[in-house]
Amino acid sequence: MIEHNVRLGKMMTRSKVLDHLIRDKDNVSIAMTQPMVRFENVTKRYGALTVLDGLNLDIARNEKVSIIGPSGSGKTTVLRMLMTLEQINGGVIWVDGEPLTHMNKHGQLVPASERHLRRVRAKIGMVFQHFNLFPHLTALQNCIEAPVSVLGLSRQEAEARGAELLDMVGLGDKKNHYPIQLSGGQKQRVAIARALAMRPKVMLFDEVTSALDPELVGEVLNVIRTLGTEHDLTMLMVTHQMAFAKEFSDRVCFFHGGKIAEQGTPDQLFGDPQNERTKQFLSAVLEAR
Amino acid sequence: MNEFALSLTFSALARGLLVTAAVTMAASLVAVTMGLVVGLCRVSPRRSVRWPAIVYIEFFRGTSLLVQLYWWFFVLPIFGVALSPWTVAIFGIGVCVSSYGAELVRAAIRAVDRGQYEASIALNFSRATMMRRIIVPQAIRAMLPAWGTLLIELLKGTSLVFFITISEFTSSAKSAADATGNYLFFFAIALLGYYIVARGLITPFVRWLESHLSRGFVRITAP
Ligand SMILES: Nc1ncnc2c1ncn2[C@@H]1O[C@H](COP(=O)(O)OP(=O)(O)OP(=O)(O)O)[C@@H](O)[C@H]1O
Ligand SMILES: [Mg+2]
Repeated sequence: MIEHNVRLGKMMTRSKVLDHLIRDKDNVSIAMTQPMVRFENVTKRYGALTVLDGLNLDIARNEKVSIIGPSGSGKTTVLRMLMTLEQINGGVIWVDGEPLTHMNKHGQLVPASERHLRRVRAKIGMVFQHFNLFPHLTALQNCIEAPVSVLGLSRQEAEARGAELLDMVGLGDKKNHYPIQLSGGQKQRVAIARALAMRPKVMLFDEVTSALDPELVGEVLNVIRTLGTEHDLTMLMVTHQMAFAKEFSDRVCFFHGGKIAEQGTPDQLFGDPQNERTKQFLSAVLEAR
Repeated sequence: MNEFALSLTFSALARGLLVTAAVTMAASLVAVTMGLVVGLCRVSPRRSVRWPAIVYIEFFRGTSLLVQLYWWFFVLPIFGVALSPWTVAIFGIGVCVSSYGAELVRAAIRAVDRGQYEASIALNFSRATMMRRIIVPQAIRAMLPAWGTLLIELLKGTSLVFFITISEFTSSAKSAADATGNYLFFFAIALLGYYIVARGLITPFVRWLESHLSRGFVRITAP
C-alpha cells in the first residue's frame, strides 16, 4: 500500500512534467524536464497497412512503461522503431532531447544519416523475444564483443564489466558456456547482460519471457525487477505478464489498432479501465489464466 | 613391354597425379579467397561494389571453363599478356570456381538468422564489424559442406589443363593406356586416383575446418 502511494506520487509529478512539455512543445531545449523518449506523431505503414497512426507518447527519465494489447496492435513495432530496426513513415522520434530518426540541418529536420543514427542509438538497448544471442560466442564473449569493437574498451575492461554483469544476472558460473549449452531463461539473462554492457539509458524488452517454459519466467522477471529498482534506466516493455506489469510499471499503455486506446497507472488501468476495448482485453486475458 | 618402359609409365602417372593435386590445391586457394571477396561484394549495400561482383559471377559462371582457359592462354597474348601454363591453370580454374563459390557465400550470408542482424544493430555495430565478427563467422560454418562439394568439382575440372599443355593425371593415364594397350587397367587407376585425392585430401581438409569452426554450434558432450 505504501509502495503504491509512493508510485502514485511519482506518477503525479511526472504527469506535471508532461503537461509542461505539451505547452512548450516547440521549445526543445528544456534540459531537465524533457522526456527520455518522445514519439511525436509517428506513423508506420507496411505497404497499404497503417500499423501506427500518429502515435504520441512521452516517456520520462527512469520511467517504467509497460505496453499491453491484442496481437497485431503494433506493440512490437513501437519498440522496433525506437531501436531503429524499422524506418518510420511520418513524425519524429526523440531520445534524450535529440531527434533519433532525424537530424538538424540548417535548422530543419532531415532524415538521419547512418552516423547520426549510430550516435543516438547508443543510448538504447534491446532484449528480444528469441534472445538472438551470437551462437559462435560464449556467454562472456557475447557480452564483450560490442563493448570492445563498438565502444573501444580494452579487452580487460570489457571482460571485467561482462563478468560483473553476468554475476548480476546470476550466471557468473556460466561465462564460458555457449548459448546452445544454456536453458532459455539463462540465454535471456545473458541477452540482458549483453545489452547492459553497452550502458544504455533506455532498455526495451519485447515479450522477453514469451519463448520460455513457465518455470523459467520467474528468473528473468527477477532480473528485470532488480534492474528497475537498482539502476537508472528508462524501461519500455511489451508484455503479456499482467501481474508483472501491474507490480513493476509506473504506467501501462493499452494499444489497440495502432493507437494508445488507454493509459494510466497500473491501478487505474487494471483496477478501473475506462475504455470498452481495455475491459474486453483484460477480461479475455484474465479468463485465459 | 619391358620393365624399364613400365617403370617410366608409372613414374609419369605419379607425376601426373602430383600435378593434379598441386593444381587442385593452388586453384582451391584462389577459389576460396576470390569466392569470399566476390561473395561479400555481392551482398554489399553499395551498388558500385555489388555490380562488378554480379558481372564477375555471371561471366565466369555462365561461360565454359575450357573456353576461359583458352582465352587466358591463347587470346591474352594477342594483347601482350603472356601467362605461363601453370599461372593459367591455377588462376583460370580458381577464378572460374570462385564464381560458384561467391554464390555459396552469398546464400550462406543471406541464410544467417535475421535476429542476428537485429541484435547487431541493437548493439550498435557498424556494418563492417557486424559482417566480420558476427555474420561471416556463422556463414562460413554453414557453407563449408557446400565448399567441400565444389572443391571436388574443381579437382575434376583440372583435367582440362591438358589443353593448355600441362600433362596432368588424366592425360598421363591416357598416354600410359595408349602405350600399353591396357585401357581397363590404366583408366581404373585414373578413377581411383581422383577418388583418392578427393577423399584423402579435400574431405579431410573440410572436416578439419568444420571441427575447428563448429564450436558453439554442436553441443559439446560432457566428458
Ligand atoms: N515486416 C512486416 N511486413 C508487413 N507487415 C508487418 C510487418 N511487421 C509487422 N507487420 C504487421 O504490423 C502489425 C503490427 O505488428 P506488431 O508486430 O507490432 O504487433 P504486436 O502488437 O507486437 O503483436 P503480437 O502481440 O502478436 O506480437 C500486424 O498487423 C503485423 O501483421
Ligand atoms: Mg509483438
